[in-house]
Amino acid sequence: MTDVAIQADPVASVATVDADVQRLGSRPIVLALLTYNNVATVPAVAQTGYRGLSRSFPDVPLAIVNADAGSSDGTTERLAALGLPATLTRHESPLIELTAVPFHGVPGRGVALRLALQTTRRLGARAIVLLEADVTSVTDEWLERLARPVWEDKADLVLPAYARHRYDGTITNLLLAPLVRALYGRRLRQPLAGALAMSGRLAEHLLLHPGWRWTGRDLADLWVIGTAIADGFAVWEAWLGPRRVESRTRTTDLPTMVAQTLGGVFALMDRHADLWRQVRGSEPVPAIGTTTTPRTEPIDIDVDRLVGAFRLGMRDLAGIWEHILAPETLGDILSLDVGDAARFRFPDELWARAVYDFALGHHYSVVHREHLLRSLVPLYLGRTAAFVVATREADAAATEAALEAVGAAFERQKPYLVERW
Amino acid sequence: MPNDWYKDAIFYEVHVKAFSDADGNGVGDFAGLTQRLDYLRDLGVDCLWILPMYPSPLRDDGYDIADFYGIHPGYGTVRDFQNFLDAAHARGLRVIADLVMNHTSDQHPWFQSSRAEPTGAYGDHYVWSPTDRRYEDARIIFMDTEKSNWTHDPVRHEYYWHRFFSHQPDLNYDNPAVRKAMLDVMRFWLDRGLDGFRCDAVPYLIEREGTICENLPETHTILKEFRRVIDREYGGDRVLLAEANQWPEDVRPYFGDGDEFHMAFHFPLMPRIYMSIRREERLPLVDIYTHTPPIPPTCQWCIFLRNHDELTLEMVTSEERDYMYYAYAQDPQAKLNLGIRRRLAPLMDNDRRRIELLNCLLFTLPGSPVIYYGDEIGMGDNIYLGDRDGVRTPMQWTRDRNAGFSTADEGRLYLPVIADPVYGYQAVNVEAQTKQPTSLLNTMKRLIAVRKRSRAFGRGTIEFLHPVNPSVLAFIREHGDDTILVVANLSGRSQPVSLDLARYRGAVPMELLGGTRFPPVGEQPYFLSLGPHGFYWFRLEPRDRRPQRYGIEDAAI
Repeated sequence: MTDVAIQADPVASVATVDADVQRLGSRPIVLALLTYNNVATVPAVAQTGYRGLSRSFPDVPLAIVNADAGSSDGTTERLAALGLPATLTRHESPLIELTAVPFHGVPGRGVALRLALQTTRRLGARAIVLLEADVTSVTDEWLERLARPVWEDKADLVLPAYARHRYDGTITNLLLAPLVRALYGRRLRQPLAGALAMSGRLAEHLLLHPGWRWTGRDLADLWVIGTAIADGFAVWEAWLGPRRVESRTRTTDLPTMVAQTLGGVFALMDRHADLWRQVRGSEPVPAIGTTTTPRTEPIDIDVDRLVGAFRLGMRDLAGIWEHILAPETLGDILSLDVGDAARFRFPDELWARAVYDFALGHHYSVVHREHLLRSLVPLYLGRTAAFVVATREADAAATEAALEAVGAAFERQKPYLVERW
Repeated sequence: MPNDWYKDAIFYEVHVKAFSDADGNGVGDFAGLTQRLDYLRDLGVDCLWILPMYPSPLRDDGYDIADFYGIHPGYGTVRDFQNFLDAAHARGLRVIADLVMNHTSDQHPWFQSSRAEPTGAYGDHYVWSPTDRRYEDARIIFMDTEKSNWTHDPVRHEYYWHRFFSHQPDLNYDNPAVRKAMLDVMRFWLDRGLDGFRCDAVPYLIEREGTICENLPETHTILKEFRRVIDREYGGDRVLLAEANQWPEDVRPYFGDGDEFHMAFHFPLMPRIYMSIRREERLPLVDIYTHTPPIPPTCQWCIFLRNHDELTLEMVTSEERDYMYYAYAQDPQAKLNLGIRRRLAPLMDNDRRRIELLNCLLFTLPGSPVIYYGDEIGMGDNIYLGDRDGVRTPMQWTRDRNAGFSTADEGRLYLPVIADPVYGYQAVNVEAQTKQPTSLLNTMKRLIAVRKRSRAFGRGTIEFLHPVNPSVLAFIREHGDDTILVVANLSGRSQPVSLDLARYRGAVPMELLGGTRFPPVGEQPYFLSLGPHGFYWFRLEPRDRRPQRYGIEDAAI
């Protein structure tokens, strides 16, 4: 193809990006790929993404913008070899994230996101679709559902909602989503789903916004969502079907995932209290695609181990929890009956208060923040156990209702958080 | 509880008089110490080592015991001690106490009777001689103050033997009555629940002509008998810790075949840790392990960075001693006997990274670590106080009057609190450091908590690696299937290092302090870079080891 803009050296300097932009010209729709050592999966993702957008928007010039964190497995070379119109850039990432890749798979994701948006802006993109380079279940329909609301100016930000098993996403369902709902007033199912679509005008707004911190370890996605909502941009969800990740790098260490996600939320709460303090209540967001209820087939979850980990936390971490949790919260937690795992209960209101106490503890730095985040893990495991126990015999609707109750509890308890902030 | 709890334990050495004063008389007491037990539990230590608590004229800070069956009135009563012990046990803390076996105060009734009635019941409790020309091969330990190991007694008109100060006459362990009396003393405290003794100055119990009167076989016979009786009568979970300031090969016999002391201090290690850091090379430290013999499996070394005495340099060569003086005690006031009377933080010029590195070594080298009170917050010293008092000043709790140690008038304190601009209690105190997440105190808590996650630190074998870079110390601790790799940069500049980890090819190093997984060990030497005085604690996890799973990990987000 004549308009392929690929550098022999994939590390793009300002001059090479300039040349790419010059060569590509105007590209109203851009497929953004943030990569790091995804050589096995990136060709299929890029080709499916490009094909899907071409089919949905046949007359619109497209381009791929790649921001790579420094792959050493030939990811960028494979991408370049596809011959698709693309510009490839490389960004700096925190060393720690290069050696221990975060749950989202992209070291320095905040920097990568900014770099991609900067490039798409220079290409004059009206719609940007960001895909995860290791999510191989992507289909043409995904591209349609993500990009269409943006292209038709109905949405400025479209976030995926995947079809999942009811016990998938326990961090998302029991922590992230309820927190985001209470903080931002929108009932998003999967706030850190990885993929998204964004309008050019929202991208422009974000790039000019003084509030975006550009350090590599920030979870910029949450700030993007919060800012979009707070500044009146339309946020949608797109039902995409099942998501399959084929990653060799993403962490699957549960404490690390809890620390990274919660740490991201708490850091955001700290820096951008303006985005959430005044928000009251919540509302669902418009959705495209067919809503799917969670799958409920039995899967093997070791509730005894979950409760055991919670029990261990009660024994070993009470000294740390004393510094973090309000006395009545701590008292209620230590009073939970852990004698019989099969009957274990962890009330929603108590859970919400505990999480808010941790947010406050993080805000006031009552203990080392890494300790704080890690010491939440047994509580999360206990709450997860209680959720599994409560829904194991329930149908999908009842499971959804249980999750809705968690979100509602976080909303009801929000004044508790705001008063103490 | 397992009988060998001491192998995993972290010890905390504390002066009752220095820790907390509950009754406001300017001297710390057991009631005050009891009030601070939660602090010690939260720090993560397992066992408190109480310095001498007995009635004493305090001419050697309590190591001159005048009554083995009491509590020094300034510290409280036996009832106060019992309350303290029960409260410690209720928090899962064990307690051992100093016991001076070798000698008593010259004020002890045994000595007073012995000198007054040479033929009486106590006449033979001490080592008497009509001449001061016996045992001339024995060295003088306190050479700054003592000219001879013999002192003439004007009452008995004989010389009495003392390896330490002249007011501390040595007991005569050749006398069965003395051995029985000392066992009865031990029973008295063990009956109250005490978890063991740190036995002071054990090499000197027996004297024989033509020897240096240290480490004699007869001494070991006596100690083994003590151990046998205590094991038999107290179920085997009480611990005996030997203070024998000797080379490891000379200390080794104190472990016997696992039938003498459970633990002994590893004295030469400590100065070599300092030497390695000052020289920025691992050789002095690694070298001492070539001189450290294996010990029975039920025994354990006790290691420390600092204690209530001077930083003892008896176990270094003269050349090394000169180097240490040059490096660490440029102020002549800081020299005492054969040591340096400084606390840890001033020895390290209050360099936080070096302090952390030293503690890293303390918590990872073979043995059970001992923390000296106040070093967990980086307390300073006052070298202008007499003897070793400079490192025995009141614990600094808050920035309030008397550092929160006592409500007494300032002038009544047993020693003045540290009040200099760098280490003064206004700047260095528990309250402030508790609130600051990155404080030394919180870092210490973290190191201790991580250490407790692996029994390899307390029980594992050690194997030193030999990277080309001499400034990097790297060693493997292994216990069962638990493998720990410790890598430390002894230098004040960043250092690269390539480690030969061929044996562990495929293993994934999990950095324990940050919980970060590092790239797996491959075919090539494993390359790491370390910041100034930086260190890593890795657990080498087999790549194919599947962690126990909850079943929610794969799609938790």
